[in-house]
Amino acid sequence: MSARATLLDDDRAVEVRATPRADTFFVPADELERATGWALKPEGLCRADVCVPVRDRDALVADDGLDLRMFAGTLGRPVALEPDAGIAVLGEAPTTLRGDLDSLVAPAFTLPDLDGRSVSLSDFDGRKRLLFAWASW
Amino acid sequence: MWQELHEELGPQGLVIVAVALDEDLDTIRHCARDESPVTLTYPVLVDRDHLLAEHYGIVNVPTTVWIDEQGRIVRPPAIAPADDKFRDFTKVDSSLHHTALRRWVRDGVAPLSDAEIRARQELPDADVQQARAERRLAVHLLRRGDTDRAQAHLAAALALAPNDWTIQRGSMPLRGEDPFGQAFFDFYESWEAAGRPGYGA
Repeated sequence: MSARATLLDDDRAVEVRATPRADTFFVPADELERATGWALKPEGLCRADVCVPVRDRDALVADDGLDLRMFAGTLGRPVALEPDAGIAVLGEAPTTLRGDLDSLVAPAFTLPDLDGRSVSLSDFDGRKRLLFAWASW
Repeated sequence: MWQELHEELGPQGLVIVAVALDEDLDTIRHCARDESPVTLTYPVLVDRDHLLAEHYGIVNVPTTVWIDEQGRIVRPPAIAPADDKFRDFTKVDSSLHHTALRRWVRDGVAPLSDAEIRARQELPDADVQQARAERRLAVHLLRRGDTDRAQAHLAAALALAPNDWTIQRGSMPLRGEDPFGQAFFDFYESWEAAGRPGYGA
């Protein structure tokens, strides 16, 4: 059975073909690359000039795509998914976040304001910025 | 207070960007517009997926992060109450933050060395990162009306990040709990017993 799933990765939400099986999805390699930027190559999973070796390629790759849970595990990234509901969330690897924070470079972001207009941190480059995280709770 | 600081320090080069870690857009609008005693003129952004919490290692609110003209973090996330209304709970003298902020904006005095910034930065571990992914999945399931699956993923998030306020208190409205009621006091007690982790300085 082939179905579709929404893959949430950072600030992107991409619809992909996905086959639910047991507690995971299988996503065709080209669809997964379109959604995440990671491509399956002979040397492993690669994005830009970075490659991550794949220990057990037979377990990762099936006829109908890559096992999303194993894909995330290979990259050290958390994944939360609901195969039957057609939705998955890929989180960022803790090691990647730690490296980003250690660089002291403020992570880029773009979020909507109360009227739905997109605002980016970089809109205010060249000025001192105070980020103020708050909530109603 | 933030509006006052915005009006005072804006002409001297500071931009305040507020980011609400909230699922319910109507509630945020209500807080930032209808209920606000003053008209807010700084941008208020909406982060339903808690991307800011993930990327900056934010575990509670109200939290500020200071970023300089070149885009470098000069003060990592730390609790920064607007005033001392809840000082019994926060145990934070709010004026220290605002005084240091004025010195940074007006006089260019960096509040911390690079080593101090790194030492104070809350770093995510695998469990907290998994909890954030579970929470995010849960809120998307809730938006689809898939309540049972959503609650299961919220429960997974709660178990993985017992001391993260954005996960624990932040999910109370999604679980039908009152974030200012008994559920909050129960969480506060267990967090205090754990040594008040992740409160910054």
